[in-house]
Amino acid sequence: MSLVRPFRARGSLRGAAVLGAGWLAAALAAWALSPFRSLPTLGEIASAFGRLWSEGGLGAELFTTTRLIAVSLALTVGISLALAYASVVPALRPLAHGVAKLRFLGLTGLVFPFTLATGGGFRLKVALLTFGMTTFLVTAVARIVDEVPRAEIDQMRVLGASDARVAWEVIVRGTLDRTLDAVRQNLAMGWSMITMVEGISRSDGGIGALILNQNKHFHLAEVYAVLGAVLVVGLLLDHAMGVVTLVLCPHTRAAMDDADATPEIDSGRAEAESVVDAPESAS
Amino acid sequence: MNTAQNTPKSAKARCSVESEAARGDVVLDVRRVSLTLGAKRVLDHVCFRLVDRVREDAVTGQIACVLGPSGAGKTRLLRILAGLDAPDSGEVLGPGGKPVLERKVGMVFQDYPLLRHRTVKENLTLAGRIAGLDARARNERADELLAMVRLESKADRYPAQLSGGERQRVAIAQQVVAPRRLLLLDEPFSGLDPAALVDVRELVTRVAHQHQLNTVVIVTHDVRAAVAISDTILLLGKGPNGARVVDTYDLVDMGIAWKGGEGRACEALARVLERRFRDVS
Repeated sequence: MSLVRPFRARGSLRGAAVLGAGWLAAALAAWALSPFRSLPTLGEIASAFGRLWSEGGLGAELFTTTRLIAVSLALTVGISLALAYASVVPALRPLAHGVAKLRFLGLTGLVFPFTLATGGGFRLKVALLTFGMTTFLVTAVARIVDEVPRAEIDQMRVLGASDARVAWEVIVRGTLDRTLDAVRQNLAMGWSMITMVEGISRSDGGIGALILNQNKHFHLAEVYAVLGAVLVVGLLLDHAMGVVTLVLCPHTRAAMDDADATPEIDSGRAEAESVVDAPESAS
Repeated sequence: MNTAQNTPKSAKARCSVESEAARGDVVLDVRRVSLTLGAKRVLDHVCFRLVDRVREDAVTGQIACVLGPSGAGKTRLLRILAGLDAPDSGEVLGPGGKPVLERKVGMVFQDYPLLRHRTVKENLTLAGRIAGLDARARNERADELLAMVRLESKADRYPAQLSGGERQRVAIAQQVVAPRRLLLLDEPFSGLDPAALVDVRELVTRVAHQHQLNTVVIVTHDVRAAVAISDTILLLGKGPNGARVVDTYDLVDMGIAWKGGEGRACEALARVLERRFRDVS
């Protein structure tokens, strides 16, 4: 029973899908059988979702939010990578580390100055979201850059590579998979900030504003329906980022394939035990 | 091999210009190199010379092994030879007494780093591109080297898919894509299984003897491997003021170079070295 023993191989993709489906079914069953009456039933949520989709403009709100997160993410990635990669230059290092420290500020107190600076509306939300995500992404990517082994840089130097080529091959290309993973985590963080940011300027709509409006009227089935949509779209975006990583960094797939091909740890031990347990005459 | 033949040169002889120059052209001249890191003196006037070895019947490069205890500063010394670090004092000169230039010396690091996002062949062709080879030339050179290290079948694999010994061979091949007269190897025999060890030893020997002026300097703990492939062995010992070369063994003078470490004389030298290694640790 390698499935319940720790540190065993992950098994096949199909097996993982079956396991995931099993846990999902268990979670839905727990929801359906929950004694808490304040929770809407799965049927109520499904019909609320249908109403919101056909009459409440859920599709349009999702598009608005996705556009907001896409623009913010593009700006975040551009600013963060520029700052983090620049940290290889000693004179610019404090810049990246300084921006990273701003993650402790929080967004609430920044609404007023950002409103003055951007004029509000879509630009304000982009600015807030970009600021919030940038401070975290700079932290993550600057750490990735810091952790590049010195030997990898020296190896390129002894090959005769220029500083620009060393930076491109070792810092940019060499860490791309980990950087994309950080962007992926950041996207999830940005997605979770969306209700707060969209709540600041509800006139532009978006699912954050939709949730807050439904919440105000205690339409819990609608709130959970929107949350379900947020979760599904978030997971789809996360999956898309994973695909992008595999396409741009095929070596990560090769490493994963090799890990999956690693034989079970106990297979050799079982063979050894069978030899030890065999009667003497057999040996 | 008697004891007298195994006796290393005295410190005075080691730094004597005349005694070494008489054997052939100097290919590497390390002159009183010292290094201090923080408050710690790491290298103390390290001084040795390697000369061009000549055999009538074969093209012969030079292989020198630097033996020494952990923490003696062997890797620091290699980094200075490679031009990656600057010494506090002293100098490193190549053939003709010219300074050894940074980025003109090959060096294979201890963990044999390769670009993990590039395939084995791409790691080699990139080295060719950096060296200024055109696309066709670098492709041909990469294929040639893959054949030399017997990894043609793994050309499209990524470094993470190779064993330690295979990565080591690719790392060595990468450093010789462009002609390098001086190649430095940091602990190339550590962590390898016996079969991989033999492969890497053979590869190092082949690379060294591809050109008369090729010189390979190896930092290692493996006394047996050092005796098997070297023509010169330098013993680095820790002292109160940092490490310095305490013994130099000329295996050509001893008549045991290029014999693959076989025979009683090699065995005797290995025992002497092991004892001296313990003494200086």
